[in-house]
Amino acid sequence: MKNLTQLKLFSLAMLFCLGLSGTALGQSREVTGVIISGEDNLPLPGVSILVKGTINGTVSDIDGRFSLTVSGPSDVLQLSFIGFTTLEVPVDEKNNFDLTLLPDTKSLEEVIVVGYGEQKKETITGSVATVKGRELAKSPAMNLSNSIAGRMAGVVAVNRSGEPGNDGSNIRIRGSNTLGNNSALVVIDGIPDRAGGLQRLNPNDIENISVLKDASAAIYGSRAANGVILVTTKRGTTGAPELTFQMNQGFAQPTVVPDLANAAQYAGMLNDLDIYALPTEEWAAANQAYKNSGEYIQPNGQVRNAPYTPAELELYRNGSDPWFYPNTDWYDATLKNWSPQSSYNLQLVGGSENVKYLTSLGYQNQDAYYKNSATGYKQYDLRINLDANVNKYVKVGLGILAREEYRFYPTRGASAIFRMQMRGKPNQPAYWPNGKPGPDIENGENPVVITTNATGYDRDKTDYIQTTGTLEIKIPGVEGLKFTGTAAVDKSMRFLKRWETPWTLYELGTGFEEDGVTPVLVPSKRGPAEPRLREENINQLNVLLGGVFNYDKTFNNIHTLNVVAGVNRETIESNNFNAFRRYFLSTTIDQMFAGGDLEKNNGGGGFERARLNYFGRVAYNYSEKYLAEFLWRYDGSYIFPENTRYGFFPGIMLGWVVSEEGFWQNSVGKTFDFFKIRGSWGQLGNDQIFFDVNGDGTQTLQEYQFLSTYGFSSYIIDGAETKTLFETRVPNEAITWEIANNSNLGFEGQFLQGKIFFEFDLFYNKRTNILWRKNASVPQSTGLTLPAENIGEVENKGFDLNLGIRGGKGEFQYSASINGGYAKNKILFWDESPGAPEWQRSTGKPMNTGLVYQYDGVFADQQSIGAETVDYTAITNQLRPGDMKYRDYDGDGKITPDDRVRMDENNIPTFQGGLNFSANWKGFDLTILFQGALGARQYVSAGESGNIGNYLLDIYDNRWTIDNPSSVHPRIANRNDQYYSNGNTYWFRETDYLRLKNIEIGYNIPAHITEKIGIRNARFYVNGLNLVTWDKLKVFDPETDNSTGRYYPQARVINTGLSVSF
Amino acid sequence: MLSACFSMTGCNEDFLTTDPLTEIPKEAVWADPALAESFVTGIYQGFGMGGFDGLMLASITDEALFTHPNGGVTSITEARVNSANLGWVNNTYSWENMYSYIRRANIAIENLSDPQFDNEGGIVDRLMGEAKFLRAYYYHQLARYYGGVPLIDRSYGLGEETYEVPRATWEETINFILADLDDAATLLEGKSMEDGRTNELAALALKSRILLYAASDLHDASTAAANSSLLAGFTAIELLAYPEGNRTERWQKAKDAAWAVIQKGSGNLFGLSAPVSHEEGIQNYINNSMARNGGEKELLLARYFINMKQEDGGRQGLYNGPNGYNNWAGNTPLQLLVDDYEMMDGTEFNWSDPQHASSPYENRDARFYASILYDGALWKPRSLANQPKDPLGQVQTGTYEVTDGSGNKVPHFGLDTRNSSIEDWNGSYTGYYVRKFIDANPAIVDQNTWQEIPWPFLRYTEAVLNYVEASIELGQEEEARHWLNQIRFRVGQPAVTDTGEALTERYRNERRIEMAYEEQRYHDARRWMIAAETLGRKATIINITGTLKPGNTISTYRYDPNLYNYVYKVVPIDPGRENRTWLDKMYFVPIHRDEINRNSKLIQNPGIE
Repeated sequence: MKNLTQLKLFSLAMLFCLGLSGTALGQSREVTGVIISGEDNLPLPGVSILVKGTINGTVSDIDGRFSLTVSGPSDVLQLSFIGFTTLEVPVDEKNNFDLTLLPDTKSLEEVIVVGYGEQKKETITGSVATVKGRELAKSPAMNLSNSIAGRMAGVVAVNRSGEPGNDGSNIRIRGSNTLGNNSALVVIDGIPDRAGGLQRLNPNDIENISVLKDASAAIYGSRAANGVILVTTKRGTTGAPELTFQMNQGFAQPTVVPDLANAAQYAGMLNDLDIYALPTEEWAAANQAYKNSGEYIQPNGQVRNAPYTPAELELYRNGSDPWFYPNTDWYDATLKNWSPQSSYNLQLVGGSENVKYLTSLGYQNQDAYYKNSATGYKQYDLRINLDANVNKYVKVGLGILAREEYRFYPTRGASAIFRMQMRGKPNQPAYWPNGKPGPDIENGENPVVITTNATGYDRDKTDYIQTTGTLEIKIPGVEGLKFTGTAAVDKSMRFLKRWETPWTLYELGTGFEEDGVTPVLVPSKRGPAEPRLREENINQLNVLLGGVFNYDKTFNNIHTLNVVAGVNRETIESNNFNAFRRYFLSTTIDQMFAGGDLEKNNGGGGFERARLNYFGRVAYNYSEKYLAEFLWRYDGSYIFPENTRYGFFPGIMLGWVVSEEGFWQNSVGKTFDFFKIRGSWGQLGNDQIFFDVNGDGTQTLQEYQFLSTYGFSSYIIDGAETKTLFETRVPNEAITWEIANNSNLGFEGQFLQGKIFFEFDLFYNKRTNILWRKNASVPQSTGLTLPAENIGEVENKGFDLNLGIRGGKGEFQYSASINGGYAKNKILFWDESPGAPEWQRSTGKPMNTGLVYQYDGVFADQQSIGAETVDYTAITNQLRPGDMKYRDYDGDGKITPDDRVRMDENNIPTFQGGLNFSANWKGFDLTILFQGALGARQYVSAGESGNIGNYLLDIYDNRWTIDNPSSVHPRIANRNDQYYSNGNTYWFRETDYLRLKNIEIGYNIPAHITEKIGIRNARFYVNGLNLVTWDKLKVFDPETDNSTGRYYPQARVINTGLSVSF
Repeated sequence: MLSACFSMTGCNEDFLTTDPLTEIPKEAVWADPALAESFVTGIYQGFGMGGFDGLMLASITDEALFTHPNGGVTSITEARVNSANLGWVNNTYSWENMYSYIRRANIAIENLSDPQFDNEGGIVDRLMGEAKFLRAYYYHQLARYYGGVPLIDRSYGLGEETYEVPRATWEETINFILADLDDAATLLEGKSMEDGRTNELAALALKSRILLYAASDLHDASTAAANSSLLAGFTAIELLAYPEGNRTERWQKAKDAAWAVIQKGSGNLFGLSAPVSHEEGIQNYINNSMARNGGEKELLLARYFINMKQEDGGRQGLYNGPNGYNNWAGNTPLQLLVDDYEMMDGTEFNWSDPQHASSPYENRDARFYASILYDGALWKPRSLANQPKDPLGQVQTGTYEVTDGSGNKVPHFGLDTRNSSIEDWNGSYTGYYVRKFIDANPAIVDQNTWQEIPWPFLRYTEAVLNYVEASIELGQEEEARHWLNQIRFRVGQPAVTDTGEALTERYRNERRIEMAYEEQRYHDARRWMIAAETLGRKATIINITGTLKPGNTISTYRYDPNLYNYVYKVVPIDPGRENRTWLDKMYFVPIHRDEINRNSKLIQNPGIE
């Protein structure tokens, strides 16, 4: 209501100003100017320009231009526009002004998208974090999910990989709440769980993103437990067509490339390993002998040659013989310095009173870090959003998205490639000095070759066509009542094609070429015996049909009521088909028909899913002072059996705008002009049952837990592959949804008309009925393949905060804000076997924590082993110098499995926050985002280091050696073959970090220059992602969850861009 | 409008009941013999890769050393397993996996007891017979690794009052297995079974095996206690052994069971009255281990592999072959095994015999040549790149002198050693590679080709050996020698004439050699209670040097005793690689502490921390 009143006043003021503009005084001069919006750097029409302290003013036109007569240099121009901060500019001697109005981002007038509607920030009662599309577009990340970290309080985004096409962040709202799936529900333009999610949305198409963190998500029912992310795309506006062209050219490189030992260091470590195999009493002598001559004579007379003689070590060190003694930095050999990425976007916006349109066309092209890269990502996307008023009562909306995601790789994946870079022996050549590729370690996997198309290719094309149609009907005769019908039809088609071909590596042969100096190299075939092709097609159709009644009315200017009631029906159908052939005669034809007939193979399958939901909301406020909202959903999911299929999910939210009270306004109200207390409680559901069935670490959706059905496999009978059947699970007929009981208490306020604002939320989430298997208490002797049961209970509590300040003087405007979220969970109950000692129990600890021995230093020498009183025989039968000490936790004088202790941390941070800063000055703008996380530990393993793989330089630098015995760091092991190589606290490292996540510097060319060449607006900018990181992990990027570096590292990006509007 | 809304959502909510499109309802399965058969076939999948995993059971015995660092192996060989670290436990005998397949068998047995389809052509009987056999097989795996175990003979549902079941005694466990095997043999009698399925003979052979085990020292409480103070102090010994009873009776049963197999089956090349030639002997043994050219008659039950379905079991060549052939040298024969191959004249090999010591690979038991790749052995052609280094395709596991361009003697490290110029990190430590079970066909390039050699679970010969053992224990030495010689004649070894203790030793060695790498030794050494002096021995390897005889020069090495003096020296493996030892807690595999926590009625095996 207040909103409406303000609008009316504003219109009156505008008319008044317009009327007056012509009556300026004669002796004064005329000044002109162009006003652009700091939001999108487009001209801003309708801005009121007033000479301060007078009633002399005007309004900017459609191109943001104005002219106004001023009385002299001492005049001050005052610019104001709803949703933007007021700007005051002294006139001085200037006649021409290029002015930027900054959006009033935290303005209370801001409208926030919530479930099935919009609400004013001022009267919102839930905990909702928002970010504007234009802020996300400032990040050069090619994957939208990587632009989210640090921007919204309580939204944790962790990026585990930078591989083109697979570089999404794992987004969690307020940490982890359940044992199973913790992914939030993504709703795009009102449609939940659209195929493809938010990762590949074009940031230029996004109006805003809202994240519902508390009971406000209850309206999404059985899928809302982990929070809801609402994405709203941009729509057309009234006005002349405006065409914007944007291009970005960026360059990416890994944030961290692990430092590894060089050839001499590595060869020296292999010598050490060889010594460590000897009885300990021989170590010193062998060490000396290997250093002196490389030959050690054992007490039994046996001559033992060092794997590398001192002379050979020197050759590795001095690099004088690259043929036989190379020194390869595998990362250097495989990765280029910078990998290009580019994106282009063309957007046309406009409309009339009755028809508005937005069309957007995007293209992305992203290369991988590899030299001669066969990996990359390309995307084409098209969006058309149309709105039409058919008549006074009927409005129609249509949204169409078409997108192709094209991922391409060599036939060896990133984990194999980076495994081989970590393993890559530095004393083997990547390429021979004559340019031919060197040998492999195994499986033909020389990384400089398997990153290229020499291995064939692996292509993945997914096409999406997503349409959303809405029909909005204002019910005649009932003011405030409307009906909206929605139909969304999403089709996705995925085509996978994997063409594997043999490739060639070169091994050192015998003797030399005719020149007498070039050793003979012999080509050697690697990979499959002959070309093979596999193709797969996957089709999916999602259909949503829905209808919503909405009633909005204010009574007596005091009571505002909003009622929503609706129903949705969703179905998904998917099917897939695949085929395989081998024995291709040649690599020239990569088409299925050309394959041999022997051993050809094919397969296929499909699935069907369905949901039916009823939902609604009643929101009431009294003079925008007392706020109340009740929302609910009655949700039916195919995942559950008929009798437990439906769930009722209510939410209650209350708010009190204290600053509207007389006592407040009469006391602190002058400076502390807004203060609201709000609280919410709700029950939300989770029907997504995910667990790792095959024990291979991949969590898969478990449907039909209530059905007694058998799945298919195969076995060899009578010389042929024969179908077999197995019981997929023992059914749980009582299975039903998991319940999130989420409470939230929030405070928001602002000082000095919004110059300083804050928002603080405390939450307590208790997840009950968690769907988990009773693996811990049901003995394996039952042989049961257990279904999920509603057994777990986990609490998660913490806080989110958001604190900001904005201000400026004259043409300088700035804003800064800090946000953060802390969440720590605790297992209250789950299926834990009763026998474990108290310190090993997982109940009462955070989820996903390990059971490990406690590192307690290193036995530096034989003497300290002799002095050891604790018995280690249960874990080793010979203690040797350089072995690790464990703490005898239970104090029984023996190191036994009982001394293992449950850890307190895992690899998900408990705190993640961001610091945003932005400033404008004349045509320049600057945005900086620092982002950091605390509270996680990452397991770092020596992995395959040893005689088949290199060591981290960090290990080389610190290790125990015979010459330099450490009491802190252990002796090196060969492929983790020592008792201390894993399973203890030594290998868990802190990953706390702070990073310069995002920075953008832009410049708008003054409109009076650009308009001469018919350009409304032109803007250049430079931005970057993950530019600097301060952390303790060092060896890998702190966001990794990979213990051995076998993954495609996160990206640092530097990007330049240009945006031109016509 | 309202009606539009309702018609759209529909009063009919049946559409929420979707079906899993890739699964089939249980009821349908048990109403259709073809589907029921598929279910029963699925129970065989508990066989895993048979014994053809990358890591073989041989490597935790005195047959082999696993080349690659693997804490799971050394936890066992160094006797440092505990209830949280069981060491390497293959799927083919893991507690969890066995019980999960026992459940499958229980489901089949329950549903086939009340069949919803006709017993046309005896289909119900056949499937029931297979299910019973498989249940017995999986229990027999549990019994021989863990001792007596909880006997679960029905399929549990969800939400039962308790799932805690105590371990059955050893005797109860054996009797349970025997009952199933008797049923299986009866049900499968006269049925023609496809390759890969069990059959009557396999049921009898498994019965023979389990009765032999039951009769052995380890499973007789007083004998076990006499041999081990740990077992003597174990209060629940009935879980692992017969606390009392007549051992002679047990041996008699074992003998009878073995005889039943011998009578019903044929094996390959039994019935010879004299040894075949040495060369024939090699070929016969290769045929038997490859199950080809008559060797398939040896197989009573096997796990087959085909190229169409590329499973790990087809990669034995890659897993175990020499590094100089770009393979991985996984389970390499120990010198301890090599030393146990007799000379071809039937005498023992002896390092103190100078003739033997200077040419240890000459005149040995034919099975040596068919089982082991040794220095100088002829093998496949090497890869194109490596043929110039070894045009002949001979295994090179030593260090030899060669002459360089200027006529100086320089060392040449064998291509199949850890100092090789080819993938040295995959070289054998022991100086040997396994040949048994690896297809010698040069067209099978192990690096990228899968072989099709089946894993033998039950061989006719095993029953014959069981018969020999039982006969010896019963004092029927003549009978024992007769059948022992049957096994020896077909590989060209002369008849044995030993008696008494010497005959026992001879038999035990014969079993070790004939059944090498067939997952017998681990059980045999334990049940005979000779583990401390066999499995617990420090592993030994061979160190070979070849020095050129005076006046000879050669630039590309080849094995040639005319050119070279070869010196063979047996040394222990470095203790830092594998420090083998035996503790009596290793007699039985630990039950994981998590399982004991889940089932408070379980008693842990003796000596496990």
